Amino acid sequence: MKYLVGLAVCVAAFAQSPAGVSNARGPASAEATPAPATGASDQSFSGSVDLGYRFRTDVRGSLESYRSVVDLSEGPRLTGIQFTMLDPKCGIFDRLDASGYNWGDPYNTAGVRVAKKKLYDLRFDYRNVLYFNALPSFANLSATGGFNERWYDERRRMSSLQLDLIPGRSITPYLALDRVTESGTAIWPWIGPSNEYPVPVDRSDMQNDFRGGLRFEFSRFHMTLEQGGTTFKNDDKARFTGVNYGNRTSTVLGQTLQLTDFMQAYGVRTSSIYEKALVTANPFSWMSFSGQFLYSMPKTEANYVDVGTGSFADAATLLLYTGQIDNVSGSTKSPHIAGNAGLELRPFRSFRILASWSTNRFHTDSFTNLRQQLAGVGTIIAGKIDPFVSNYNQSETNLIWDLTSTLTLRGGYRYEWGNMTADSSNLSQLGELENGRLNRQVGIGSLTYRPFQKLSVNLEYQGASTTHAYFRTSLYNYSRERTRVRLQPFQSLTLQANVSVMRNQNPLQGVKYEFRSRDNSVSLHWTPAGGKRFGFLAEYSRYTLNSDINIISLPFLTAGSSQYRDKANLATAALELGAGPARFTVGGSLSVTTGTRPTQFYQPLAKLSIPFGKRVSVNGQWQWYGFNEDQYIYEQFRTHVVQLGFRVVL
Amino acid sequence: MTAFSLPHSAGIPTQARRYHAARLAPFFASALFAFFAGSAQAQPASPAQAGANDQPATYVGSETCQACHEDVFNAFQKNPHHLVETSAKYKFDTKACESCHGPGSKHAESTSPSDISNPAKLKPAAADKVCLSCHLNQPTNVGRITGSHAKNQVSCASCHSIHAKGPDGVAPHKAADVNQQCASCHGNVWASFQQPFRHKLPEGVMSCVDCHNPHGSFQPGNMQTSRGSEPGCLNCHADLAGPFAFQHAPLQTEGCSTCHVPHGTNNPRMLTRAQVQYVCLECHGNLPLPTASDVNGTIPPAIHDMRSPRFQNCTVCHQKIHGSNVDRGLFR
Repeated sequence: MKYLVGLAVCVAAFAQSPAGVSNARGPASAEATPAPATGASDQSFSGSVDLGYRFRTDVRGSLESYRSVVDLSEGPRLTGIQFTMLDPKCGIFDRLDASGYNWGDPYNTAGVRVAKKKLYDLRFDYRNVLYFNALPSFANLSATGGFNERWYDERRRMSSLQLDLIPGRSITPYLALDRVTESGTAIWPWIGPSNEYPVPVDRSDMQNDFRGGLRFEFSRFHMTLEQGGTTFKNDDKARFTGVNYGNRTSTVLGQTLQLTDFMQAYGVRTSSIYEKALVTANPFSWMSFSGQFLYSMPKTEANYVDVGTGSFADAATLLLYTGQIDNVSGSTKSPHIAGNAGLELRPFRSFRILASWSTNRFHTDSFTNLRQQLAGVGTIIAGKIDPFVSNYNQSETNLIWDLTSTLTLRGGYRYEWGNMTADSSNLSQLGELENGRLNRQVGIGSLTYRPFQKLSVNLEYQGASTTHAYFRTSLYNYSRERTRVRLQPFQSLTLQANVSVMRNQNPLQGVKYEFRSRDNSVSLHWTPAGGKRFGFLAEYSRYTLNSDINIISLPFLTAGSSQYRDKANLATAALELGAGPARFTVGGSLSVTTGTRPTQFYQPLAKLSIPFGKRVSVNGQWQWYGFNEDQYIYEQFRTHVVQLGFRVVL
Repeated sequence: MTAFSLPHSAGIPTQARRYHAARLAPFFASALFAFFAGSAQAQPASPAQAGANDQPATYVGSETCQACHEDVFNAFQKNPHHLVETSAKYKFDTKACESCHGPGSKHAESTSPSDISNPAKLKPAAADKVCLSCHLNQPTNVGRITGSHAKNQVSCASCHSIHAKGPDGVAPHKAADVNQQCASCHGNVWASFQQPFRHKLPEGVMSCVDCHNPHGSFQPGNMQTSRGSEPGCLNCHADLAGPFAFQHAPLQTEGCSTCHVPHGTNNPRMLTRAQVQYVCLECHGNLPLPTASDVNGTIPPAIHDMRSPRFQNCTVCHQKIHGSNVDRGLFR
């Protein structure tokens, strides 16, 4: 029977089913749920606390660039705290783990895990990350003051809570809640008639993901049934009073354009319910199966209003006016179906067949109503229905053959097909809708050679031929080769080399896309005698990318090309010396790139740790940050950062 | 049909396999399949197997193992796998060592390494089989078959330490430790994070497994998922998930990496090109005017004078580039 099934899988995969509909970006991942350690028989408490103070010299160069890239500041820091309590006799928990890192920095984390054997397993994770970006070169340099018109200073907080009940049993209920909030300030332009006016924005959004389900785990199969949902809200607001001339430097219809008062408010609400089923099974010793099915129906209700007063002119309609009100309301639905399946057949001890299928299908229907009132002119009402359809399918089969005990070969074939329909923009040359097809065939080959346990060589190749792709820069006729060699001649020494090459070509007339990248890296890890006195690690990577594609040049709509070059030399190294219990480390990283945007980024560091007794150690760390851009010298920065602190072992 | 092999049978042909192999020749006369069958039969048995053929080894219990391997035994007491030793569920209570290494009576007598199965020295697929005899039917492994690690013979033991002490013994949990482990193979990827514009992995606030599921995934690149089946990027970038009334199609069909380099680059906002205009124009720049479905992307009108800094960053105006609920041109 298994041979027939195997044959059927191969035939089906190689038969190239006709391009149809469906789609393939499937869900994957199942949460790893390691069982809590339960072997402890005694009550215990262990942990450590790291406290310190960070000093920073004045940033030479651009402080805004420094904040956009590094953003470490001065002040006291709780750089780390972690502890574990084991108490098998406690009625509430028998294990408690807690940790927190980088408190006081722009990014900090916290985690708690509490578990009681056979009763519950509760995990909480929290992250608080500050995002700052204000690189003048990114946006409009000609604007007044030359500032970045896409500037933002935001804080994103992500928390996750998961509770498994009666873990380790055959049937395990679980509940989870994830929350992401974003708040802060930003500068966005308001796109008015014939001009755009940068205005300050208060950012505010929040998403809650909740899910719950049952896991059934048996010796021959597992099934997870999950229902979840999402709520999202966005309440961004902008307010401006003053005189804002915007980015336009010339008059329109003889009038100087300006914005004198502005208010903008978003009110976006999204809700979604999904159902998901996961299955794994091994009905026979020679067969394993896994699959997933998901259905979701997200809906968005959006309301938007902006009110602007000033001196406006619309060159297209030859209108002069002093005020504008935009009021938009709309709703969107996007039913989504995804299915994935995988099958592993082992007809012989040295031969396996891995087959997988995916489909991912969704479409979006929306209705948007725009009501625009121009002061003294009248009201324009427009309704718009915008469909979006995407169907993706994928079928892949791999044959894996253990040719000898040290050599494994793999050959495979993947077929991808799909279609999409999208709304075109107002000025599209394609009409109201754009349509696309996907049809791609990929051949796969790989070799894994392990002549002995300490040496492994892995070669992988993919070559694709595409007859239809959605976009000019999509993968078309591409090949991807990867080589990975790992050698561990001694327990203390590991050497590794990676070579990765990719080429993508789209020969269509007017496109002529040529993409070539190569990534070579070597690494060495040497820790003789367990690294007690000496340890050294070094990694070097050289990355080159050449991309050429024909494009249309504006404003004269003439033939042009986009050429992008990137040659990066990236290295990290660390030399660690030990004298008794004291440790000294020196090293750091560098990134030197040439090409279209030459950039140098240096991060050397030195660390010293001196223990006093068994429980206390004093730590010091120096790091230098140096950032140079050949074309944007006003964004360079350099600074020293020194951190002094101590660790207490609890 | 036989049940899924017990872990200690990894690498040992069972009666069922011999039976199927014997049926193979008459059923499939093709030389290719016969060759496969021959290779399976011709593979030399390991010493442990040879020993097992003489007289089957029997279980002796973990305490017998402790006599010589006390350090491993002690560390194992605080390892999550110790559950096997104490729980009747796995049917190896008091015999946890032998649940992976197989019956140890012969090894206990001879102390010869050749008389015991050592998963660390097995082929990756055989070693995985030992682990999967317990872990196969778990949600963790739903995407295993489609994952690149399984296809490329990266065994469970490449990342997981089976005996080590403590809750982090099996796998690291701290972000910096996770990243270090992944970088031990994916050194070129880790090098990308040394560039100025990257996700905050070197700072220790994120780890590789926040975005990737090393056990395998139905998403390309072993990506994690969000909202059931969306790309894992949206777990943090929730405001970009939509659905939007006006979608930007590549975001839905090609993914975030069409415009962004997630691991790190020298371009601000982790863009694939040094200037925003080229990120956009490489799709919105068809020559001649689009006539086929393979070149979607509208040409911008000539009012965009790219010689002026005012127009060189398209997202100054098209600021809702990931999708808009308000404006068809993605202006607001």
